[in-house]
Amino acid sequence: MNADAGRPTPPAPPADLSREWIRGVLEPCLLALVATGDSYGYELASRLAAAGLGPVPGGSLYPALTRLEKQGLVSSRWRAGDGGPGRRYYRLTAAGQRQLATDIERWDSFAATVAGLLRQGATA
Amino acid sequence: MNDADWLAALDHELALRGMTGSDRAEAVLEAEAHLADSEPGAVARELFGPPDRYADDLAQASGAPGRRRPPDGTTGAWLLQADRVTRSYRGRPALSPTSLTVAPGQVVALVGPNGAGKSTLLRLLAGLEPPDGGTVSRRAATGWVPQSGGLDPFLRPVEHVELFGVARGLSRADARRQGERLARHLGWELTGAPVVGRLSGGTAQKLRMVLALVGTPRLILADEPYQGLDTDSTRRFWELLWSVCEDGAGAVVSSHDPEVLRRADTVLELQPAVEPAGAQGVGR
Repeated sequence: MNADAGRPTPPAPPADLSREWIRGVLEPCLLALVATGDSYGYELASRLAAAGLGPVPGGSLYPALTRLEKQGLVSSRWRAGDGGPGRRYYRLTAAGQRQLATDIERWDSFAATVAGLLRQGATA
Repeated sequence: MNDADWLAALDHELALRGMTGSDRAEAVLEAEAHLADSEPGAVARELFGPPDRYADDLAQASGAPGRRRPPDGTTGAWLLQADRVTRSYRGRPALSPTSLTVAPGQVVALVGPNGAGKSTLLRLLAGLEPPDGGTVSRRAATGWVPQSGGLDPFLRPVEHVELFGVARGLSRADARRQGERLARHLGWELTGAPVVGRLSGGTAQKLRMVLALVGTPRLILADEPYQGLDTDSTRRFWELLWSVCEDGAGAVVSSHDPEVLRRADTVLELQPAVEPAGAQGVGR
């Protein structure tokens, strides 16, 4: 599950990567991470950081997870921790799986559109 | 604010936003678990932001009722209207002509330098004194939080609560119950408190707040109500005020607290009143 464990250092996030952009893609990214296995908030935040999205504060992370759960795209349950308060693990639901497939298609098309537009400007 | 305080504040803020039972407990536990996993030295306030804003985001995400509805300015309903009111004391103008309307759910914050007439305007709005010019109309029972006074030193707080509650149509038992609940929101136990003359200044101020809110008047007027209070009690008072305005009350408060100004629907800035030019004989 933790494919990043062996990596030496996470890639630094681009310094100018807009917080708004990250906010826009946070929910699909969370779906994708949870699709690889059940995970809890802190671990998801670490994996986002390791993937290069920079530190995602808890203040953005948990409202996003709450929205996903409210929409039925993930479910959650608590597992006892060792001594600590336990952790809430999120799991992709069937609806979440369908949403992720849609998101991937929509993102590819959206990203291609934006990239095309930006390049057009650069060569004008 | 340490993490334990932050978590307690989060719990309180979520409750104010109508998040109940296990949803609320789990949201707090999850933040606590996140902190336990984080690097040593990580601070809740930096990871999650101020508890009230985090609670806003979580409550919105979970579909809880939430705290603020935009005030209903469309129906023409109003609770209080002041039309070009003025006031002078011993010939010196204390308030320039000022107009304002308060709709259900609306919070108006009064700002301005000392001497601009904030307290004067509030006393006129509360009907404690008449304006020299202009008119004040109220359509709602009014709760008033003065900076001082308004209490009888020989009565106990619970007796004050009964008097005010009964005047607003509650039974004594209901008044007492409501008063106890309000006091607890402010971090204070009403029952058993000694006569007012023996209360500290801060506790007396909490009593004024409780008295303004008991019987759920639809209009709240508060004149820098946080004097003599610690920051936690002040914050609790504002949360109470926001929640009654969420339920449709209107409020006019004088305050310089940036958080209050950010959350108020309207900020009304008063300028010191100037004497009419003719009064000093320098007119044309």
